[in-house]
Amino acid sequence: MRQHFKDIILKLAEKDDRVILILGDISVFLLKEFADRFPNQFYNIGICENTLISMAAGLSFQGFHPFVHTIAPFITERSYEQVKLDMCYNGVGGNLVSCGGSFDYAWDGATHHCYTDLELMRMLPGMEVMQPGSRNELGALIESQYANGKPSYFRIPADEHKLDLPAKFGKANVVIHKDSAALTIATAGPILQNVYEACKDLDVNLLYFHTIKPLDKEVLAEYSNTKILVIHDAFGLFEAICAASDASVKYFGIPDKFCCFYGTLEDIRTSLGLDVRGIRRIIQGELGELKCRSIK
Amino acid sequence: MDVFCKNIREHILRISHYSGHGHIPTSFSVVEMISAVYSIMHHEPSNPEWEHRDIFILSKGHAALAHYCILSNLGYFPIQDVRSFGAFNSAFGCHSDRHTVPGVEWSTGSLGHGSGVAAGIALSFKIKKSPRKVFVLIGDGEANEGTVWESLMVAANLRLNNLIILFDNNKSQLRCLPITKPSEKFKAFDCDVAEVNGHDVAALKEALSSISGGRPKVIVADTVKGWGCKTLVENMFAWHRRSPSREEMEMLLGELQ
Repeated sequence: MRQHFKDIILKLAEKDDRVILILGDISVFLLKEFADRFPNQFYNIGICENTLISMAAGLSFQGFHPFVHTIAPFITERSYEQVKLDMCYNGVGGNLVSCGGSFDYAWDGATHHCYTDLELMRMLPGMEVMQPGSRNELGALIESQYANGKPSYFRIPADEHKLDLPAKFGKANVVIHKDSAALTIATAGPILQNVYEACKDLDVNLLYFHTIKPLDKEVLAEYSNTKILVIHDAFGLFEAICAASDASVKYFGIPDKFCCFYGTLEDIRTSLGLDVRGIRRIIQGELGELKCRSIK
Repeated sequence: MDVFCKNIREHILRISHYSGHGHIPTSFSVVEMISAVYSIMHHEPSNPEWEHRDIFILSKGHAALAHYCILSNLGYFPIQDVRSFGAFNSAFGCHSDRHTVPGVEWSTGSLGHGSGVAAGIALSFKIKKSPRKVFVLIGDGEANEGTVWESLMVAANLRLNNLIILFDNNKSQLRCLPITKPSEKFKAFDCDVAEVNGHDVAALKEALSSISGGRPKVIVADTVKGWGCKTLVENMFAWHRRSPSREEMEMLLGELQ
């Protein structure tokens, strides 16, 4: 997916000399072609994320479209006040493009896990928050939002889902709709693949959000007469849905403890019950509970 | 004392008394520095958005009252407007807001942000091959923040010689984490350094006007918190955020003479 980001940003720079790429010493080799072709638009500033954000705000103030790219915990958690004040409070645009969200850097352990980014960004006034789950979504969202003068957060995932879905900013996708379903599953990002595999033959609806903020409230309203189960390997979507819906909303995903182990992304997802089997078990449990209640 | 700067201090005292909000000693500390910057930078009070203007950022945002009074005296807005300083719905907050005050380029308050933003603006001028400059005023207390040094390191590495940092060395941070030997520190961060009396407008103007080499410039301004009023200088911590009663204001105005 990062390779695809390279293709997207090269295409943007070809037509727009206000695109400035700012790196926190990450993806440098990958983006060498950008550096070679657009040396005046490429700055590998250093491992100093606070300053990356502040400088991006300064560049945006002068009419550029900065893209700050580094690892999710450092761009969002470490630099939170810079995003909050220099970008959002001062009212300038800019694009924060992270990699390593949730457990994409599983092998590097808890210091490199980042499942708070989407929620932290969502809480900031004026911020747009996107978690694309496929190449198509990444390209469509960046191209439509990068120059709109607003601060925007894009999370590049390590893997992607394989569903062919339309990607329009702010619009959720109804992946599964069943008139009889009393349970609606909501998810975001590449974990959609596991969620879809887990529930495709069950009596549930499935909603998919690549845009966390602004949330598609219209599609949510259509399912407000069902119970909503948010299955997400991050915070942010659950809180957004709770704020927007009158429905009963439940969450399954990140536990209240650090994941103090290493391995692969799949290892961690499995250990948290976010593999296909684990997710199916949770959904079947919810369906069983709903059935019991309807009998009572 | 420079007549313009004395006039600014009078306004600061009167508005602080009238509004009930303060930060007088730190405002008095920076009056000559801000006045000197505006005397040499390209700006147009009748057109605050003039595209060729230089940029000034007051990173130690709690000295906003001094900035407002100077902007007003330069013609950005009438001084009467500033009497609402700190009041609900006033354009003139205790920290300045770029969306409400003509001439304020950047909203500040939380310390340690201005130098990074200024570095970004300076870089944008370099990319555009523009001769515009960026001035940013930081405090010695503010320099406790790591972001100040982080952004300086970056600015020096990018050879941003259009970035000029004014360091208000009023030594208020002696009570906890002093910035000892600041000039040596800034030189070690690969900046051009000039040491001046921060209450000497002519010396400040000379230092601000001489840009040389390919590095950011830091003007280490030796200042006194509360400078101009004996009472404020001798009791700077007690007066940090106080506003004077009418009697106190009269006393302080008398000391200014």
